[in-house]
Parts: sequence; C-alpha cells; structure tokens
Amino acid sequence: MGGPGPAGPPGRLVVGVDIGNSTTEACLASIGPDGSVSYLGTDLTRTTGVKGTPDNTAGALTAIRGTLARSGRRAGEVRTVLLNEATPVISGLAMETITETIITESTMIGHNPTTPGGEGLGVGTTRSIDELGEQSPGERVVCVVPHGWDFDDVAAAVDAAGRSGVEVVAAILAGDDAVLVTNRLVRPIPVVDEVAAVEKVPLGMLAAVEVAAPGRTIRTLSNSYGLATVFGLDPAQTRQVSPVARALTGNRSAVVVRTPTGDVTDRRIPVGELVLRGAGKTLRVDVDAGAEAIMDVVGRAQPLDDAHGEPGTHVGGMLAQVRDTMADVMDLPGQPAVPVSEIAIRDVLAVDTFVPSEVRGGLAGEVALENAVALAAMVRTSRSRMQLVADLVSEGLGAAAEIGGVEGEMAVGGALTTPGVDRPVAVLDLGGGSTDAALLTREGECTAVHVAGAGELVTKLIDSELALGDREVAESVKWFPLAKVESFFHIRHEDGTVQFFDDPLPPHAYARVVVLTPDGPAPVGTRHGLDHVRRVRREAKRRVFVVNALRALRQVAPGGNLRALEFVVLLGGSALDFEIPDMIADALAPHGIVCGTGNVLGTEGPRNAVAAGLVRAYAAGPARAVQDATT
Amino acid sequence: MTGSGERPAVLVYRHRGAPSRALHEICAGAEEEGVPTEVVDAPDGGDVIALAHAAALASRLDVGIGVDVSGAAAVHHGKLPERNPAATAGPDASPADWRRAGRIGARVVKGLPLTEGPRP
Repeated sequence: MGGPGPAGPPGRLVVGVDIGNSTTEACLASIGPDGSVSYLGTDLTRTTGVKGTPDNTAGALTAIRGTLARSGRRAGEVRTVLLNEATPVISGLAMETITETIITESTMIGHNPTTPGGEGLGVGTTRSIDELGEQSPGERVVCVVPHGWDFDDVAAAVDAAGRSGVEVVAAILAGDDAVLVTNRLVRPIPVVDEVAAVEKVPLGMLAAVEVAAPGRTIRTLSNSYGLATVFGLDPAQTRQVSPVARALTGNRSAVVVRTPTGDVTDRRIPVGELVLRGAGKTLRVDVDAGAEAIMDVVGRAQPLDDAHGEPGTHVGGMLAQVRDTMADVMDLPGQPAVPVSEIAIRDVLAVDTFVPSEVRGGLAGEVALENAVALAAMVRTSRSRMQLVADLVSEGLGAAAEIGGVEGEMAVGGALTTPGVDRPVAVLDLGGGSTDAALLTREGECTAVHVAGAGELVTKLIDSELALGDREVAESVKWFPLAKVESFFHIRHEDGTVQFFDDPLPPHAYARVVVLTPDGPAPVGTRHGLDHVRRVRREAKRRVFVVNALRALRQVAPGGNLRALEFVVLLGGSALDFEIPDMIADALAPHGIVCGTGNVLGTEGPRNAVAAGLVRAYAAGPARAVQDATT
Repeated sequence: MTGSGERPAVLVYRHRGAPSRALHEICAGAEEEGVPTEVVDAPDGGDVIALAHAAALASRLDVGIGVDVSGAAAVHHGKLPERNPAATAGPDASPADWRRAGRIGARVVKGLPLTEGPRP
C-alpha cells in the first residue's frame, strides 16, 4: 500500500486537541482522500497551567504522544495538530450573608445538647448553686451551675435546698451532666446542660427552662403565647419576643431569661445594590432582595455588558474581588498587567443559600441558619494566547499545529458523533466555572453562549450549607453517593440497599453518614442525617445546573423557545455526575426534547467532543481540500 | 465472674486494683447517655483489650469495657476482631478520658457516632 504508517489505512493523520480548564484531551484520526474520517484513538491528561497560556504546551504534548503511542503511530507521521480556540471565559464566586441573629443580654439558650435531663417546664429566678442556701423558703429557683461541679454534689445541693423549703424547679449546667444529675434527684427537674458560657447567664432574673420528652420538641417556649403566659407579657411585649419563640422551634430543650431589655433580633444586613448594564439600560437591584429578584433584573438586562457593585458596600467588594481574582489569573509574567477596566462581567447567576453560623451573644455556641446570596460571575476577556501554544506544540512535536476552530462549534460537531443524534442539535457543556450551550441548526448555523455558574458553585453551596469548611469533603459529597454506617460490618446506601463488609469499618466511621469514594467509605463531618445531606446536595445541583441549563438553552433556542430544540447532548465533566444528567433530562422532558449524556464517537462518553469535533471540521473544511490538492 | 449478662448492660470488666475513680467516670459516661452498666471483677491476666473483648462477648448488648490496674481502658464490641477495639485510653488516662470511654461504649449500643462531629 505504500502508506506512511505500519498500521491502518493510508490517509493523513491529524490530532485534535482540546485544552480545557482541568483536562486536556486528544483525538487521533486518519483522513481519507475523500474526506472520510477514521478515528484511531483518544487520550486524556491533566491540563498544565491556566487554560489559554503557554504552560498548556506540556499537557498538550503529553496527550498527543499518549494517543499516538496507543495507536502505534509516530509523531513524524502527523500532518497537523488542531487546537481549540479557548472560549475566553473565566468565572468567579462570592457569597454574602444577608441576615444575622443576635442575642442581647443573654436572654436565650437555644442549643440542642444531645442529652438534656428530666422533662417538663420550670419557671423561677436564676440563682447560682453557691447561693442556694441563702434563698428564702417558698422561692422558686432556676439553679445555675458553673464548671467544675460534680454531678453528685449538684444533686445533693438541690435536694438540700428542697428540704429547706426552696423549690428548685430547673437547672442550667456548664458540663455534660444533665442526666446524671436528674437521676440522683429525689424529685427530677428539667435540666439543660453543655452551656459553655454559663457564667454569662444573668442571675436574679425570671427564667424558664423547658425539656421535652425523648423524640419530642418543646411546646411552650417555642410558642409566642406560651412565652407570654410564662412571663405575663402584654401584646406589645409578645410581639417583641416572637423572634425568641421562632429561634427555639424544633429544639428538644431551651432556656429563656427575662431581662429588662434583652432581645433576640433577626437583622437584615444591607449588602448594597448590584448595578447591571445591558440592552441599553442600567438597572439596579438590592442584593438582599434575594436570588429571584436579582435574576429577574439580570434577565431584563440581557445581553449583559457589565455588572458592578455599589462602591463601599458588600456587593461592591464582592464583585471587585471577583474582578481582581480574574485579573490575577490573566496576568502573565513578563506581560503588562491586565487592566481591571478591561474585565467586563458578562453574566451573573445569583442563588439563594443559607449559612449556618454561630449566633452573636449566644451562650452555648448556638447556630442559626442565616440567609445568604451566592453570586457566580463570568468574565470575557480579549486575551487568548492559543496561537502561541500552537507554535510551541509544533516546535515540540516536529509537526504542524494550528488553531482548528472555536470551542462551542467544535463541541457540537463532536456531539454529532454520538449515536442517535441529528441536527438541530444543542450541546450543554457542564463545566467547572461556566455552563456553555451551543446550537447547530438544520442549516448548519452555529450559535454559542456561556452562563456563569457550574460545578465550582455546586461545591461551594454544599460546603457552606453543611458547614463542612473543607472544599475537598464538599467535592466528594458532590461526586459520590451517600450511605449510613449501620454497624461495624454493614452500611445502608441512600436508596436503602444494604451492603456488608468482610473487614470491620473503622470506629471513626461508625454510625456516620459517609460518602462512598473509590477508596472506601469516608465520613462526612456533620451531625445532619443522610436525608438532609442528600437534599442539600441535590438542591445545590438543581439550583445551579438545572437553572443554568434552561437559561443557556433559552438563549440559543430560536425565539427562546425550548420546543424548537430537538436533541440536547450533555458534555463536560459534570455530565459524568451520577444524577445531574437525569435532573436536566427531567426538566427538559416537558418541552419534548431528547436529552441525554453524550457518547462521542460511540465510545468516549461525554469526553473528547471538542477534540473529535476539531478533526471532523478539518476533514469537512473547504479550505482544507484546496490546500490538500496542492500538496 | 458473676452476674454477667443477666440484664442488658454494658459490662465493665476490671482487674483487681483498677482505680475506683476510673470505674466511677466510665459508668457516669454511659449513664449520661442512658445506657446501663454492670461492673464485674475479672481474673488477672490478659491485657485491657482482651479484657474488653471478653466483656463484650459476655454482654447482652455486645459491648464491653476493660479497665486494668494502671487505669488503661478499652471499649469493645463482641463482633469486632479481638485486636480491633472501638476505642482505647492509655495508662495516662484522665477522668475526662474515662468519661469518654463510658460514653463511647454507650454510643456503640445506641448506634450513634462515637465522637462528636462539628455542629450542624
């Protein structure tokens, strides 16, 4: 046959290379004289350096050599390497708390110790255990016990007070001793324990302590009228204490102290206005109005030219931070710094979220769920240095290299190699920083859009809503299904399936919610149950990917009409997620759309679409035919 | 050994001369969690892990705790391999460590995480 290679059909060898934010993918193919394409192999490696910078060269060469080696070909046989023109999109995230709960004058203890003692409601005056002996007979006392008291001594002191006519109706303990104390009393009383800052409980004040039976929650102190009854409040005062009742809802135990001006406030933090410029308009929206209001205004300013935060406010700081981070990412050594004014925010996704945070003024480390707004912002830049990468690849490989096409268009081309797909086809590339959509019409016209918010935002929401404080753990909660360790030898998966193990599970995983990583079950550091963790995970994915899938597809669909789309192919790292593709398919089903995870070349799954698309575009290109005729 | 396994309880096997403070704290740790304990005098010999395992095997709750003369303690479950205890406290254990050992024993019975995770 006289072909250049030892194997395969004669033809021109080309390699499509897709440099992405996290992975670099290569696709090797042979193009026949008639333009027919035979795909020979693919490879995938980690992207080196920031996407679109010369550092990408090393990763690109690794992927190219990898696919050549797998197919038994040599670099010298390659006619040309085709690189993608990276979409000049990067994204940033910020989160701002918009409510704050403050307890003043230590009026309330609303934490949930795991083991409170006794049950019922006790109302009396707060007295330190040291001064129980000094109380006059007939007085009703709520006994406050500092650190260092032994449970036997506490019980003895309370019983002794009872014998001298002082009625101790409840107790507040610093240590974890409530059950021990209650078990030793002649007449058990409700006891709340683990109150770390017990010395701050105001003494000589009327207080109520309530402990519910196991499996129940308090009924009196979580009810505004219950508080009014206990403390004899008038309607105006009742209105004032209603935040206390609300804050205690769902607790098994609680303490409320009546002080002259003590209060629990639920304050809204003014975070400032978001200023959106686009469609010839400048629109303003208060960030503390919430995600729905923000997204409504973003929708009216489409296409967005830029977004700013009111200077001197939280949101101003937030967007300035996003902009600065992006300037840093784009800055390159030896190059003039990227002027911040060149960085325009072209899309914003706002998501309502909540952040568990310690209550200011709390005595027992109480945690309140504060409302917050998370913002993902996307920036377009004019800087791409892919041509330089192409030159460096060419030099390193000893073969020609060129820019073969723009990412979005190439992705659609690659998606068309999925079995069962035809034009018009839209792709959704579910990435880390942005969600990208591209549409190829029946006539061959291609449009692409990028919207802010993707996998990184999901991770951030999971991290903050579960108060994990660890991005890696949040990432694993996102990626892997959950289970509950039910004994040293078995777990129950989130769908109810039970799995046994031959070797005992480690004690630190016992009875915990775990994520099933490839390395085995890893405990999630949370007191929440499996159902709660699962709900947080799915809601985070829905609020980012389902919302963005609809938002992006509406922007590319003719007339914004989703019904005009026929095939939607999901691509990108998050298309490998175990539930996101199903959630998007469910959301698109009512619009009569066929939606599923791509299977590029019938073998690659949602990977390699851009690389395969580059090869496909090269084979079909008219310019190519002319050039090849002359060689 | 007497009295073992008659009513459901975490069995605490102690060597002769085991510190009484250790027993007091271990039993308090389990009581705070609402799980009964029963202290049993064990014959000499064997380390604290073997002691705990023997206690776990005899307990109707499958959970046992061993304490030796130095105050070292181990918490065990009857179904675990003998050399894999659920928790241990060394000879330098403090009253808080003993209290924790009792609490862990009770939490194995209750099917709750053995150590407190971060607050929700």
